[in-house]
Amino acid sequence: MSSLCREVITLQLGHYSNFAGTHWWNLQDASLSYDPESPPGEIQSDVVFREGQTPGGHVTYTPRLIAMDLKGSLRTLRQEGSLYDAGKDTSALTWDGSITMHEESPPAKNSFLEDLDKLDKGEILAEADFPSSSQPQCSARSLSVDTVNSHLARVQKSYRLECSVKVWSDFLRIHLHPRTISVIHQYNHDGEAHRLEAFGQGESLLQGSVLEELEDRLHFFVEECDYLQGFQVLCDLADGFAGLGSKVTELLHDSYGGRGILTWGLLPVSHPDSVSVSFFKSKCFVTRLLYLYLLSLFEQTPVKDLYRLLNCTLGMVHMASHSSLFCPLTLRGGLGRRPSSPTTFTHLSYDPSLWYHSSSVLALALDTLTAPYRLRNNSVPMWQLADDLAVSGRKVVAAYGAVPFPMMHGSSLPDALSTYTDVLPWRPLSGCAEAGDGRCYGQWATLKGFEGQKLISSLAAGTKPPTPLHSLHSGEDVLASYIRSFYPSAPLALQLVSTPSELAPPFPQIFSQSLGAQGFLEGQPPPPGSTPRVISSVPVMTSLQSGPALDPWLSELHRGVSAFDIRRVAPSFLSQGPEVSDYQEALEQLRLLARCYRDDSRGVMRSSSEEEDDD
Amino acid sequence: KANSHNLLVSGAGDIKLTKDGNVLLHEMQIQHPTASLIAKVATAQDDITGDGTTSNVLIIGELLKQADLYISEGLHPRIIAEGFEAAKEKSLAVLEEVKVTREMDRETLINVARTSLRTKVHAELADLLTEAVVDAVLAIAKPNEPTDLYMVEIMEMKHKTDCDTQLIRGLVLDHGARHPDMKKRVEDAYILTCNVSLEYEKTEVNSGFFYKSADEREKLVAAERKFIEDRVQKIIALKNKVCPNGDKGFVVINQKGIDPFSLDALAKEGIVGLRRAKRRNMERLTLACGGIAMNSVDDLTPECLGHAGLVYEHTLGEEKYTFIEKCGNPRSVTLLVKGPNKHTLTQIKDAVRDGLRAVKNAIEDGSVVSGAGAFEVAVADALVKHKPNVKGRAQLGVQAFADALLVIPKVLAQNSGYDPQETLLKLQTEYKESGQLVGVDLSTGEPMVAGEAGVWDNYSVKKQLLHSCTVIASNILLVDEIMRAGMSSLKG
Repeated sequence: MSSLCREVITLQLGHYSNFAGTHWWNLQDASLSYDPESPPGEIQSDVVFREGQTPGGHVTYTPRLIAMDLKGSLRTLRQEGSLYDAGKDTSALTWDGSITMHEESPPAKNSFLEDLDKLDKGEILAEADFPSSSQPQCSARSLSVDTVNSHLARVQKSYRLECSVKVWSDFLRIHLHPRTISVIHQYNHDGEAHRLEAFGQGESLLQGSVLEELEDRLHFFVEECDYLQGFQVLCDLADGFAGLGSKVTELLHDSYGGRGILTWGLLPVSHPDSVSVSFFKSKCFVTRLLYLYLLSLFEQTPVKDLYRLLNCTLGMVHMASHSSLFCPLTLRGGLGRRPSSPTTFTHLSYDPSLWYHSSSVLALALDTLTAPYRLRNNSVPMWQLADDLAVSGRKVVAAYGAVPFPMMHGSSLPDALSTYTDVLPWRPLSGCAEAGDGRCYGQWATLKGFEGQKLISSLAAGTKPPTPLHSLHSGEDVLASYIRSFYPSAPLALQLVSTPSELAPPFPQIFSQSLGAQGFLEGQPPPPGSTPRVISSVPVMTSLQSGPALDPWLSELHRGVSAFDIRRVAPSFLSQGPEVSDYQEALEQLRLLARCYRDDSRGVMRSSSEEEDDD
Repeated sequence: KANSHNLLVSGAGDIKLTKDGNVLLHEMQIQHPTASLIAKVATAQDDITGDGTTSNVLIIGELLKQADLYISEGLHPRIIAEGFEAAKEKSLAVLEEVKVTREMDRETLINVARTSLRTKVHAELADLLTEAVVDAVLAIAKPNEPTDLYMVEIMEMKHKTDCDTQLIRGLVLDHGARHPDMKKRVEDAYILTCNVSLEYEKTEVNSGFFYKSADEREKLVAAERKFIEDRVQKIIALKNKVCPNGDKGFVVINQKGIDPFSLDALAKEGIVGLRRAKRRNMERLTLACGGIAMNSVDDLTPECLGHAGLVYEHTLGEEKYTFIEKCGNPRSVTLLVKGPNKHTLTQIKDAVRDGLRAVKNAIEDGSVVSGAGAFEVAVADALVKHKPNVKGRAQLGVQAFADALLVIPKVLAQNSGYDPQETLLKLQTEYKESGQLVGVDLSTGEPMVAGEAGVWDNYSVKKQLLHSCTVIASNILLVDEIMRAGMSSLKG
């Protein structure tokens, strides 16, 4: 409609959300172009980034981002970043008496962070892996546009950070604004004591100084926006951040009515339980043995699992009611306590237990899911996305993704899609399996990154098209016709974005060897023994769906939580709120929410039998 | 009250300079269960009274140390806890005796604030803060009503060279007008405080499923635009009514957004418009300038307007500030804290908050207590005399309590470089001889009459302190062997 810059402010609440967020910002940064000559890209980066100025007068470009995490979660990252500060100034102007210095020894930086430091200081990296043949053309350009991106891209180092990533700042490429990071001092990131474990703890956090600080940060980022379209909130579902997220979305809803609030509830596949980690790290053999014995006794800390289930349930109910749209994002097989095995993708080999890996897959999907409202032209504002999907109270949607979208190098979209005639190429990203019966209330599908490939088949005139898809004349028609073959009557909105997600170090190399450097399938795998290909970009297709499939999925969650008496099984969960009556009301809301997705158009027989299920 | 500052530098280089026990406890990652229990209670003390965290931790530690001696000799922890309880009752009685009830004039309040602040920042800065803090509270205090410190906004400003704190009898907002043609300085200005959207938002009409025709959409947009324009026109009409000659200024401070079209329309009429004011500042605005916060522009009248003698904008890097000053009778004021870096600002802000709390406590208590360790010396003395009235071995608990309280004057002396035992003896002798409440003179190490020297502590802080350290020490003593095993490792 117009090319106004409709700003979006991002909030990341919790450690796993910050993992996914960090990957997401790295992806955004990798596709930024600092070259004034290059034409403006399809994605308008000003939507999520802001231009600022340091006290020294340097121009900065940083995310419109508020990231909240707990005490002890930053490691090498300074809370205020290093962009706006001249450096350490420990002189005490306010006190002339004695001063006791308590200096924590700086944690060791991994090879990637060391390289970033070198680049910041203006040093050139050793270009060990650099293929000498293409050097001449490149170096001429890098003189004019000397950026971290170009350096890192040229070095193309594969960092292999799998073992060294402990917290999200270990792979953060970009500088953050000093107002971005907010550390919650009431709870510890790790250890035994003061953990943010329960929904109620998180809920009661948002008052006093924490609330005031958040309001100040929001004010800073919101006030400068001319056409704020809304907020994208990434929030951890498994711990107390679910409660904090509920209060934060409520605050956004109350203070910025009319703006879109898109909330993504993130859930890792597994949690590194602090007890088990410290036991496992123990050098003492007996301790480790003892731990294994305890494990066999208690079957993996059931109380913690129970807490996670409760946090997830309450978080979902509350955040859905305060947001324009709520979508869980996880690679777990389901939201319950005993989910089926994690989601797998044909062309990915990631380690589900590594947060660094699983969050990178989610970030890649999120880059495509969020693309419609970040486009320079014909963008679809957040509220419209939400209006399209969240009809009659169905504010929870499920996400699916083909990461990467399987497409042969040099083929066309109809070719790619016609190999998936029986089953859709995407896999669940919300732990909710598709019903497969073609019923759906609304769907938003986005294909991003087909650059260089054909959207329609270019058959010579007179040739009989092998499938009906090959006879269509636009990419939108091809995709729409393909999806309609699975969901014949469902309202469908589509967005096609040509630019792929650019993968720059330190994005983990989790792709199968059947992919080429651009992320398209290669006819032949590389000969054995050759150096593995480095994938620099991938095409991704995602879908957001609201349909009857969410009814059994939500109902199962409801059954899982209602199955036990919380006052008996986990009495301490409610010690910091909510009240038992509020808790029960939330469960009732979940039941009603599940019912919103029930398809009433079917026969009376079936719906009456489902009524019985409820009781 | 440890008198040394702690400079905390995190591994990543984040800096915190503090002497405030509460800040320290919040910064550290405390893993030990007993230590974390103490930290929790001590920070609760701060939540209630705004001060006394360090004293609390010191006394609890000392109580446990004293108790440990007796327990190792075979005394049951419960007996000691009984002694603590008896000692607490007596101490509270002493507190009631020695507290000084008087009119809380500015001088007394300055003494209270100074006593609190001097333990937190250096004397010169403390004295500067003292007046600002006391005057801020006096500006907003109403007789016979609880003081709402919320009406004192603390605004921080990072400034390369300046390091001070000043009281602004009005408000400082940390944003400015977003239009190049709006004036940076307005004198004698009407202030319109409102919460009305002046920007095009998503239309209220549900757009139904997916796309409508572009034509229809344009119509909707135009209708919405007109709606917003009408609101702006109503504000402009009011401005023209109250400033017919254009000699007075007109400033709109809106809690909701103002989009570029509306800003443009306001700028053309010489109106300064600030958007997205913080919710918490809306009430403060009307208290500072007068007028009514408007939720609609339909019933605007000149009576809704507030007034300020001077409104001006100040820019520092990417940060903008709007000063609203020279308000007639401000019921809400701002303390503007300037400092060269974040940790200095944070430390001054923490000190200012504690100072405000101390002044508020003094006003609400209507009484003060001698500081500099004088109160503790007096209580310890009274407890020793009270011991024979307590039955049996619980007397040992009373003795332990008395000894524990004396940690306060001892630490005060030690931190100023004097011998703690010698100083304490001098104090106790002087107290016995003169019967006056004597504390440590930190500049000489000699006894002084605390009240005469103007060293006053809060009554409510002392009272809360006696309660909470007794409760927590007794609780720790009474839990089972496992916890006490933890306690012994805590000392290591």
